[in-house]
Amino acid sequence: MEAAAALGAAAAPEEGRGEEEAAEWAWSWGAGTDGQLGNGGFDDHHLPQPLLLPIRCRGRVSLVAGGGAHAIALTSAGEVFTWGRGTHGQLGHGNLDNVPHPKFVKFLENHIVTCVSAGWNHSGFATDSGQLFMCGDGSFGQLGTGDNHSRSLPFEVAYFTSRHVEKLALGMRHSLVLLKDNSVCGFGSARRGQVGKCTSRNEKSHNVPRIIDGFGDVKIVNIYANGDHSAALDEYGHLYIWGRALIGQHDNDQPWSVFPSLSISQVALGWHHALLLSGGELFTIGVYRHQKCDHPVPGNVVGQQSKTSATSSSHDGSSSVSTLEKVPCIDGEEVVQIASGTEHSALVTGSGSVFTWGWGEHGQLGLGDTSDQVVPQRVNLTVSPGSRGIYCGSGFTIAVDLA
Amino acid sequence: MSAYDEVEIEDMEWNAELKAYTYPCPCGDLFQITLEDLRLGEEIARCPSCSLFLTVVYNAEDFADAKEPAHKPGPSPVAVA
Repeated sequence: MEAAAALGAAAAPEEGRGEEEAAEWAWSWGAGTDGQLGNGGFDDHHLPQPLLLPIRCRGRVSLVAGGGAHAIALTSAGEVFTWGRGTHGQLGHGNLDNVPHPKFVKFLENHIVTCVSAGWNHSGFATDSGQLFMCGDGSFGQLGTGDNHSRSLPFEVAYFTSRHVEKLALGMRHSLVLLKDNSVCGFGSARRGQVGKCTSRNEKSHNVPRIIDGFGDVKIVNIYANGDHSAALDEYGHLYIWGRALIGQHDNDQPWSVFPSLSISQVALGWHHALLLSGGELFTIGVYRHQKCDHPVPGNVVGQQSKTSATSSSHDGSSSVSTLEKVPCIDGEEVVQIASGTEHSALVTGSGSVFTWGWGEHGQLGLGDTSDQVVPQRVNLTVSPGSRGIYCGSGFTIAVDLA
Repeated sequence: MSAYDEVEIEDMEWNAELKAYTYPCPCGDLFQITLEDLRLGEEIARCPSCSLFLTVVYNAEDFADAKEPAHKPGPSPVAVA
């Protein structure tokens, strides 16, 4: 007995470590030439690859934010890791290097970060004390620092030192912040109305945060940004969108309430489309721009659906034509989380299955090829014992077992 | 195949290293069009990493004998106070 135990103990460390490293719990796939897959390399991958987050993060990742070609992981302890393209300082490591594996952001080690977001080439970090730190490309004023400089170390945005930042959402060239007092601020490129009303026609961007008006008295619970789009959800699940037109032809420089009959729980924005989760049903608005001319016949279709069905425009809050489309249900599985890249979409179901669809040229669908897909397709990942998170950057996708 | 999107030249950024006007491509790389292309009246900006391309909207006369734009301040390797 004793001998056996001793033998077991002697053998355990090696075996144990081997098993731990082999047990996969975080994956990435898609465009990888800037190191954004965090798998140690600089190549595209068409199938899920192990994402090299430190093993001590296992079960402690609370959020991953994907940008143009970089990503940020946040742990439940408020630690931050970044990887991918660093050309504008967006990784926050004090240099401009691309990093092909998740790297701890030392600058923030004495802060408890509670929210992160990644834009095209910029990054934002909100702390438990309500501070906001930004780094990366500042050429459109998207760091909110009052100038158009880029920064390679997280820099506290002075505007928010006397305010309490709850959430942030970064788009291609703009940034949105939700404050504890319920106001929504915007800064960065203003060309498409994405940071609210401009004071003059010639104003193309602003580099100091400004409050975006137009929400009335409702409580805003979440904000979203991608491309030149902005969105917010209020406590009733009502959606507001502004910025570049997602519905109809016209950009909007103030929040516009759309689909008031829906009670939306989650939103994911792309560059020309958005996903909306409402009462267990998944809808898309807008289009997958790259494939507007050809709608390939769905192959390998999951479930019994034939085509996505366009609903009538009765949900539309305006007179413009609505493009609200219902995404076919997936074998009766419940959708628990949605994510959107620039031109692809992903979801995870209650049983931990990951599905992807949309543009696939860089393998961002993780299906082993570069084909586009018009309906959700199942990604071949082991079934998760607990909950699984799904996240997208521009041309890549990340899945992480959360517990 | 049609253009992925249409972008005005003033929304593109001059990249001194690439010697081209650039705009983000949804794949993560950059659509690019050189000054020489613009002088010749080219309207297509291509991405070196994928099949997508952009239509660039600009006034050809503005670029008939255009010079390289002034270099914009690049990112500083350290935090600026």
